[in-house]
Amino acid sequence: MTITDVVKILGGKLIAGDGNSPRVVGAVVANDLMSDVLLNDADDILLLTSLASDQAIRTAHIVGAMGVVIHNAKPLSETMIKVANDLSIPLVSSPLSKYDACVKLHDAFLAEERG
Amino acid sequence: MSFTEKAMGEYTPVILQGQQTSDDEILAKTPLDAKALGGDSSEIIMELLQRFKVRDVMKRQVISISRKATMRDAQKLLRDNRISGVPVSENGRLYGIVSVNDIITGLDGGWMDEPCEDHMAKNLVVLEAGMPLSFALRYFNNYTYGRFPVLDSDRRLVGIISQRDVMRALLYELSVEIRKLEMKTSPKAAQAEHVTKENFFRKEWAVVHNDLSRAGHAANAIKGILRERKIDRSIVRRVAVAAYELEINICIHSHGGVLVLLITEDTVRITAKDRGPGIPDIEWACRDGTSTANDWIRSMGFGAGMGLSNSKRVSDKFEIESEVGRFTIVQCIFDLPKAAAPQQEGAAS
Repeated sequence: MTITDVVKILGGKLIAGDGNSPRVVGAVVANDLMSDVLLNDADDILLLTSLASDQAIRTAHIVGAMGVVIHNAKPLSETMIKVANDLSIPLVSSPLSKYDACVKLHDAFLAEERG
Repeated sequence: MSFTEKAMGEYTPVILQGQQTSDDEILAKTPLDAKALGGDSSEIIMELLQRFKVRDVMKRQVISISRKATMRDAQKLLRDNRISGVPVSENGRLYGIVSVNDIITGLDGGWMDEPCEDHMAKNLVVLEAGMPLSFALRYFNNYTYGRFPVLDSDRRLVGIISQRDVMRALLYELSVEIRKLEMKTSPKAAQAEHVTKENFFRKEWAVVHNDLSRAGHAANAIKGILRERKIDRSIVRRVAVAAYELEINICIHSHGGVLVLLITEDTVRITAKDRGPGIPDIEWACRDGTSTANDWIRSMGFGAGMGLSNSKRVSDKFEIESEVGRFTIVQCIFDLPKAAAPQQEGAAS
């Protein structure tokens, strides 16, 4: 599942970063507490968060996340978009709630596994 | 220059509101030779004097004495703590100061067993914690006092500041600023930062209190530097996590400081140094979930009390030292895998 797939699954919009990135989702982390995100050891994280700030992007960069999804279509600041572009982190805005986004991604993973 | 100074009477600590001294006047009286540091250095000093407040530099642990204590008690306090003056204060309220001069007069006059309140100096010049450091320098230049009590906005005694405190803070900050300036203006210096020694790399970043818009820059840069050096990915991630947590900690909990990256042949070290307020209980602060963060910090996704414990978790070695009112230094050390040892000539196969 690439970032292009994530945008489609969540009915979202790519706001910043490379939409054609070949990186695939290794794990989904849904959290608004950045220290919790930093605790995670998984690779190629897709970060789902309602924290629409620069720090969500910087945290994603520190853990080597493959993308960030801001749910509930929260407004994104220009600086956040700039930081995402500067650090080459794909940033997606989704109208779904965190719960609905997680369910959709879970279903998509199951479908992927079943082939 | 005219300063207003009132007698304390019942208790009216006086905050001096002097005429504005020009920046040149302040610099001329500053023991640092600003001009010797080059054209931009005076701007740096002025910027530091404005940026730093009295509260950033003052000592917060104030040794004080009560009004009813005797002059002999005050003498003992001065001698035991090797200080030259002690504020007379009760419940945060400042009543006066007993100095060595008052003790000498007391010994001479024979009133050492009388209460301090009868012989203390009541015409006090005090500073406010929120004043720029330039005010403190001006006071030291215009008065012969070696120290000034510091009051908060509620007129409560919250610290004491000496010339030594000011100079120490300025020299420390100047070294950081000058390094930054050198890096900016001299490509050679920038290059030297990379090749100081064959197996040695050091770089530091200033971290400003409460400037969350910049918090994370240093950690992101550190990650980039380690990647460029082809250091193992898992180590890069651990170092980056520690650097980020410590950078955020300096930003949200301290009065400001620096984050230092040091790469040697066999380790990567991240050191976070700040100018206080210090940690009263380090063991408590290192526990998961313990934090003094406010709602604003939490709204930014931090302040869950994981910073120090996270940094410790990812480090191979973790050291922390703190002194309340002065500083905290945290060091995270990461072992690098040893390069394959060259085979000795003639070694048995």
